[in-house]
Amino acid sequence: MQSNDFQNDQPNEGSERLSALFQAYRDVCPDPEASPNFMPQLWQKIEARERVSSVFGRLARNLVTAALAVSTLMAIAVSIEHSRSGPLPSETYVEILAEDHARRELGYFEPVRIEPVADQR
Amino acid sequence: MPVCVVGMLVDFELIQRAQKGDAAAFNELVLAYRKRILGTIGRLIGHPEDVEDVGQEVFLRLYFSLDQLRTAEVFEPWLYRLTANAAYDYLRKRRRRMETRMSDLSEQQVVLADAMAGGKIDRDDGERKRIRDAVGSLLGAVSEDDRVLLTLKEVEGLSLRELGKIYHVKENAMKVRLFRARQRVLKAFRASERQAARVGSSH
Repeated sequence: MQSNDFQNDQPNEGSERLSALFQAYRDVCPDPEASPNFMPQLWQKIEARERVSSVFGRLARNLVTAALAVSTLMAIAVSIEHSRSGPLPSETYVEILAEDHARRELGYFEPVRIEPVADQR
Repeated sequence: MPVCVVGMLVDFELIQRAQKGDAAAFNELVLAYRKRILGTIGRLIGHPEDVEDVGQEVFLRLYFSLDQLRTAEVFEPWLYRLTANAAYDYLRKRRRRMETRMSDLSEQQVVLADAMAGGKIDRDDGERKRIRDAVGSLLGAVSEDDRVLLTLKEVEGLSLRELGKIYHVKENAMKVRLFRARQRVLKAFRASERQAARVGSSH
């Protein structure tokens, strides 16, 4: 038992009186007997907590199932849409952009069509 | 000298059965430790009317955390840890409630001074109440952490090693923590003694 070893290392004014007070407190507060309701109430609390946790557990399981169903449906919808839109182009996105850009640039060099001006006279 | 309270009251097999969900084993476990734990709680919180509630909370937490217990050997430090935590939660809630009701701590100091002015410690009822009030007021003047730690050490008689297991702290760190807590209580104790001397001389 080491209870007083430490305080003896640090002698302080009032320290022994404080220890005596704590010891007296221990003596005047014996371990009480539990009431007859202690165990029934404890089991009621345990069952109530279990009910709450099982409700939350069910709710969580339902949410997970719903989330799985929604993601499966979305995956099916995306794959159907993908099969309808035909094969993807073989070029990369950058190549397509470059090609489009080149086509636009060429527009500046197209020959200008000059409309014949109608004779007003 | 404080009494060393830690010592296995049940065998490991019973704990293992309770861990596997055996309700009868858990019931037996509670019955074995109930008195000791209620006593510790009573001395930790100092409010006999709430001891059973806090005790039920301890065993409720035990029931739902038993599967996390790695080995049956650490059962008692585990149970004491749950007890200390439940007492700490209770004291914190109670302090919050008290703070909303009254922010005047001087009343507490007067109670302590009156208790200290009572003189030599006898064992009659008045004296018992005076001791309980004195320690209650003294520990009420420090933080819940200090209160729980000091009660476990000074009143329950747990060793530094046992406290280290409960708090998951090394013995040396525990020693420092305890020293600081004790110094704070000692300071409050000396102040109350001085006040008691003043009250005694004025009567």
